[in-house]
Amino acid sequence: MRGFTKAARALLLAGCAAFAAPAAMAQAPTLRVGMAAQDVGRLDPHFAVSTIDRVVVAWMFNGLVRFRPGSINPAEIEPDLAERWETSEDGKTWTFHLRRGVRFHGDFGELTAEDVVFSIRKAATAATSAFAADFRAIEAVEAVDPYTVRVRLRENVPTLLGLLTNYSGGYIVSRRAVEQRGADFARSPIGTGPFALERVTPNQSAELVAHAAYFRGAPQIGRISYRFIPSDASRDLAFQNRELDLNYGRGDQTWVNRTRQLPNVTVDVFEPGELAVLNLNTSIPPFNDIRIRRALAHAINRPEIARWRGPDVSREGQSLVPRGYLGFTADNGLPQFDLARARALLAEAGHPNGITIRVIHTQLPEMLATMQVIQQQLRRAGITLDLQVVEHATFHQQIRQNLSPLVYYSAARFPIADIYLTQFYHGRSIVQTPTAVTNFSHCNQADAEIDAARLTTNREEQLRLWAEAQRKLIAEVCGVPLIETLLVFARRSNLDYGYELRGSMSLGPLITEATRLR
Amino acid sequence: MLGFVLRRLLAALPTLFAVLTLVFVIVRIVPGDPALVILGDQATPEAAAAVRARLGTDQPLWRQYIAFLGAAATGDFGSSMVTNRPILAEVSAVLPHTVDLTAASMVIGIVIGIPAGIWAALHRNRAIDVAARLLSLLGLSFPVFVSGIYLLLLFALHWRWFPVISNADLDDPLDRLHKVLLPAVALGLTMAAYITRVTRGAMLASLSEDYIRTARAKGVPWRRVVWVHGLRNASIPIVTVVGLYVGILIGNSVLTEIVFNRPGLGKVIVGALNQRDYTMLQGLMVIYCFLIVVVNLITDLLYGVIDPRVKQT
Repeated sequence: MRGFTKAARALLLAGCAAFAAPAAMAQAPTLRVGMAAQDVGRLDPHFAVSTIDRVVVAWMFNGLVRFRPGSINPAEIEPDLAERWETSEDGKTWTFHLRRGVRFHGDFGELTAEDVVFSIRKAATAATSAFAADFRAIEAVEAVDPYTVRVRLRENVPTLLGLLTNYSGGYIVSRRAVEQRGADFARSPIGTGPFALERVTPNQSAELVAHAAYFRGAPQIGRISYRFIPSDASRDLAFQNRELDLNYGRGDQTWVNRTRQLPNVTVDVFEPGELAVLNLNTSIPPFNDIRIRRALAHAINRPEIARWRGPDVSREGQSLVPRGYLGFTADNGLPQFDLARARALLAEAGHPNGITIRVIHTQLPEMLATMQVIQQQLRRAGITLDLQVVEHATFHQQIRQNLSPLVYYSAARFPIADIYLTQFYHGRSIVQTPTAVTNFSHCNQADAEIDAARLTTNREEQLRLWAEAQRKLIAEVCGVPLIETLLVFARRSNLDYGYELRGSMSLGPLITEATRLR
Repeated sequence: MLGFVLRRLLAALPTLFAVLTLVFVIVRIVPGDPALVILGDQATPEAAAAVRARLGTDQPLWRQYIAFLGAAATGDFGSSMVTNRPILAEVSAVLPHTVDLTAASMVIGIVIGIPAGIWAALHRNRAIDVAARLLSLLGLSFPVFVSGIYLLLLFALHWRWFPVISNADLDDPLDRLHKVLLPAVALGLTMAAYITRVTRGAMLASLSEDYIRTARAKGVPWRRVVWVHGLRNASIPIVTVVGLYVGILIGNSVLTEIVFNRPGLGKVIVGALNQRDYTMLQGLMVIYCFLIVVVNLITDLLYGVIDPRVKQT
């Protein structure tokens, strides 16, 4: 009888909690976020490639593991959907033990190993994922039991946990939802994250609601209204008018200074920094002559560009890999600013009166403004850039067709040297080849080091090889690093993330169960 | 009347066909690959090929063209290549906002523009006329992204009468009215400037006609001479300008939509263009073309109302 009473009381309490949770959610505040975008694209996390999509999918999905909120340090990756894991001695077999009782949004039930296997296979397939190439090393994924997943690798990768974290292809989706919804999954996604998508109003907003059954606890914020406001001026006015709590900022010192002067506003500047590089096509004139490449490298005044962009939001690029990435080295012999040397090299290469180079560049204001500063710097050394300004999608297509001998490219990647070096400087990634990614320089001199570093299990050797690769590529002047620009968001001071925001791989602040509006 | 409408709609079919063909060709001539937009900058050629196969953009152009024409003929606009959302759903979600803005701007333009034009014509070369001409020149020269920001600074930030984000709740008529007012003023003032100038010119021409002199000689009151005899005969160019301008407003109010954070057809068109969303662009152009045909039809019908001789021809 006593047992029955206890059970009845427990049931009653559970019932009350179930009814109380939605009521509490209804009263929980709405977070209003302003984003510089016309519209959201695809919310299937394996197709979320733009900043606007990446920011919002991070609130809806989890990976097997995750970066500690506020950090992008791979050394601080911690359990998420998997509560623990082990690896075989050769490092090629990984077994993940899933957390029990993790619920998907809506009525899509509990997460099981089948969902994880399905998600990893989906992420690794070119037809169903934009990140399939990252998963090339995975040979097989299988469900050992409903709560255990085994991953077998063909070859070692620098970090398998990096692939399975809450970033790009690492997000876990509901198998049933993908199969039921088909192509519609891209606009009605189902994950396990703290927030679930309620609806998308085209060109207006994405509305999210708290996931009451979230495994880390019900979020303290009831709803998120993610508003698409492409005009910087209008978005700033809306933020100033208290119609937004969180605002996408510009990597621009003037903007930061102006926004910091607003009452009760905090400006967060955080990692990852986007490294801007001038990639020089070494296979065609004029940059097939290393003297001209060196002349250009000596004509670039990095401190001046960083001062122009602003000390709070930018810093000098020091290598062909962004600072802070695992494997980065500043000890690489990077050519320093020296106008006399630049002019002498140019004369030596047969251009004593200077040289004109036709360059295709995007009309995106931030990239165009930086390129105009570079244009002025190079002019001082006798290098004239004839800028052909085209629309952004055209720019992306034309630079992949080798139509520009110089390509200004700014990017952030997973913070280990391997990804950056492979995508931008490995022979396999040269544009207009069957395995092309973004190697615009056509350099392949460091392929051996990049490949060896990927396969070795000795961390010190790996770091040495990555450093050697950077030295080789810089000696060949495959690219000239410019500046790194950090991410900027402004928030009303009553918005407390629940963690210290130093970095976010989703390119926007993570909104977690602990985030609150005071 | 019905026969006239049907004839006009039939006559619009070749125009529609030409527009469809042009849009199909132009969006494909413009460089840029939808697969790259979907996959982002880390796309491999293999992944891009898979996406092109799924979208059908790897098919020969003639096959894509036939499929497109066939679908358009059955009213099937398909789904967006990039977001996969049905095009009709996307358009119907924003169309009420566009109609609100266009109608409100038109009302503001007409209410200010016609009286100002008449007033200027009646006071030709006097201070009022000069002021009206200067103000209309100012209205034409002030781009909406400047006037819009000033309006927001004054009415939203300083006096707090209006919100900066003007995306109205379509189920709430008062909210719709409240949020359309400021953007409609920004657009309507430019339209008023056009209408003022056209009305002034048409009225000056009309008031110098013999029938006006005759009416005045017969002792018809001056007010009646101006509003009935003068304005009615000056109305054809005014209606033409309003019709043309409304057509422009439907698709080209994108700057106003961006500055005031309103959803709208213009914003969808520009978004589709930036993303090389061929199917969305094609669907939007068909709908836009249809709306222009309807606006032109209404304009033609109004000609008949204003001048019965038009109906006879």
